[in-house]
Amino acid sequence: MTKMQRSLRGLLAAAIAATTIVVPAVVSSSAHAAVELSFWSWRPEDKAFYEAEAAMFLKSTGISVKFTPYVATDYNATLATALTAGKGPDVMQIRAYGGMANLSDAGNFLALTTKDVPALAKVAPGMLAGAQGYTDKQQFGFPYSTSVLGVMYNPDLLSKAGVTVMPTSMSSFLSVLQKVKAAGITPLGNGTGYAPGLEQMWGALAPAYYGGSSFFNDLVAGKKTFTDTAFVASLKAETDLYKYMPAGASGLDYNTARGLFANGKAAFYIGGNYEISYFRSLNPNLKVGWFPGPAATVGGRRYVTTWADGAFAVNAKTSHKAEAIKFLNFLSSKAFLTAAANQLGWIPPLSGITSSEPAIAQMQQKIPTMGTPFLTLVGFRYGTPTSSSIMQPGFQKVAAGTQTVAELAKTIQDGVATWYKPLAGK
Amino acid sequence: MAKQGLKRQQNRMAAVLLLPGLLTVLVFTSIPALTTLSYAFFHWQGFQRGSFAGLENFRRLFAFPFKDQLLMAFRHNILVFVGIYIVQTSIGILLAYALFKAPRGQRFFRTVAFFPVIFSLVIVGYMWQSILNPFYGPVNYIFHAIHWDFAAQTWLGNTSTALPTLVFINLWRWVGFPTIIFLAGFNAISTDYVEAARIDGATEGQIFRKILLPLLAPSMTIVTILTFIGAFEWFDLPYVLGGSSGGPAGATDTLALMFYRLSFGSVDSGANQIGIGSALGVIIFAVVGVGATYGSKFLRAREVEA
Repeated sequence: MTKMQRSLRGLLAAAIAATTIVVPAVVSSSAHAAVELSFWSWRPEDKAFYEAEAAMFLKSTGISVKFTPYVATDYNATLATALTAGKGPDVMQIRAYGGMANLSDAGNFLALTTKDVPALAKVAPGMLAGAQGYTDKQQFGFPYSTSVLGVMYNPDLLSKAGVTVMPTSMSSFLSVLQKVKAAGITPLGNGTGYAPGLEQMWGALAPAYYGGSSFFNDLVAGKKTFTDTAFVASLKAETDLYKYMPAGASGLDYNTARGLFANGKAAFYIGGNYEISYFRSLNPNLKVGWFPGPAATVGGRRYVTTWADGAFAVNAKTSHKAEAIKFLNFLSSKAFLTAAANQLGWIPPLSGITSSEPAIAQMQQKIPTMGTPFLTLVGFRYGTPTSSSIMQPGFQKVAAGTQTVAELAKTIQDGVATWYKPLAGK
Repeated sequence: MAKQGLKRQQNRMAAVLLLPGLLTVLVFTSIPALTTLSYAFFHWQGFQRGSFAGLENFRRLFAFPFKDQLLMAFRHNILVFVGIYIVQTSIGILLAYALFKAPRGQRFFRTVAFFPVIFSLVIVGYMWQSILNPFYGPVNYIFHAIHWDFAAQTWLGNTSTALPTLVFINLWRWVGFPTIIFLAGFNAISTDYVEAARIDGATEGQIFRKILLPLLAPSMTIVTILTFIGAFEWFDLPYVLGGSSGGPAGATDTLALMFYRLSFGSVDSGANQIGIGSALGVIIFAVVGVGATYGSKFLRAREVEA
């Protein structure tokens, strides 16, 4: 070995030693200095909003957040696969009630207390239930927004049709729809092609027929059933409106239906507060009016159907627990929720935050006196088949004339009774 | 002695070359299939495995309310297989024969026929959804323009037209595939048979029916088996166009969609049931496995006769 070769070997050994010792030290120190939280959601359309909020969070805490949205329809499966494999994000948007109770019951989410997230103490119990385990009742998320169902209308189209007074009962609503139709305007933008939309439409109208929360409580307790005449009447109330939908309503997908209303081609749209931001994205100048589902009879009681839209949760296996909790507190802060109310149309669970959107502000006002839980979503999505999975295609069968509402009610009752013990054998 | 050593070396080499393929099949096919089989025999709470369930998941799958869905989905899979097989295979043979008989521009037309196969299925789905949209789609627009209002349907929204429409879209996208296989089959037939028949005075029609078609049997076997497997595992197109519930009102539901719904739940209607989903997975596996094996045996036997 020549002198030159020896010195080259020596240099090489020194370089390897230096790399082995120094590089991990550098990597390790930078990892401590800059934590990056991963944050998953099913809302690709909200990416710009979350990234702007994450920038503010980074500025105030030095913790960066990487927002990764997934397609809404694949989100449950994607998140479940990641969490079951022991991976998954540090913080995530989760679906409420039965939507992800399976994942919470499997211990995937960090149990939260008011000590961790003080804002939880200010949220109403009905909303908190949206992010509690089905079996252990532990709080596993912060419910960020209340969803509200009702009837949205286009004031300009209604005035063209000569409608000046908003209907308060179903009979007056039907008269208005008829009047609008006679004026050559499509009365309802909703279609029967999008099955989940049919359940939401029912949710807006039904409580006035079955009697709101008292029926909900009786049904959950097994004192009443889905074949109750009041429940059957609630199903019929929806199907009575199908004739006011556009021609070819069975081929109307969700976005086309909402597009009809947003573009001033239909006078009414029955749905939730979350539709309004979509309407605005298509037509920023659209005037949107809103009223609660009409009463079943003249002078009867009216209700506003509500539920927790979703929640923010922390991965039980996160290696950045303190930072994730800090971010959760940011997501439950008044500043963040106010921004979300104004930019995303949320109805925050904390009092004192009023939406700048007049229709949503009106919904907020009605919740305390008229609020009632969305029966099928809040009560019966914890087992298979869910009432929703029978109701949604069931309404399409009624629309196609292959099933009656009484048969639909019986199928829901028999289906839910296979797993929900209080209703078994009834 | 040297010969034996060479043989051993060749065997070793063959084993080394086979190993990556065998490992891939083992890791990505055999183990998941066996795991799914085991899942079907346990109770599940969401994604948490519970106690041993025996045949309970199979019993529930064949009882109310899943039984009706299962039978309807199975019936749809059969209809899809029959529909795709008859129409797609017939058109595939005719296109392949046209390409076979017209060497001028063959490469261009072959590319045109195969082109839709390379499109992403999601894009194909949304493209047809727009084309068939009852409000702004060009299909109904044309029907109305020529006063054929009776023909302007809500193609994907009507329970009686939704499944045939999906079969048509599948046909549009896939017909290039059997065409290429049949074209290869035609090209593999010795020209001696055709020339001999022509000398004997056979017409083009007779040559097609009595010589080319029977000798196309090996290609027919491949297309039949692949169509059968594809039809009974049909998921992507109905999912893109009808959602996981096979809308409208389950008119486009298939066994694979039902499996997905049961195993992963649905965004808008809730909970999953892995045990029952796995039981259905086992049944789909059995139907496809047994059908493909016996179908292949039967068709191969006919090839010998031909």
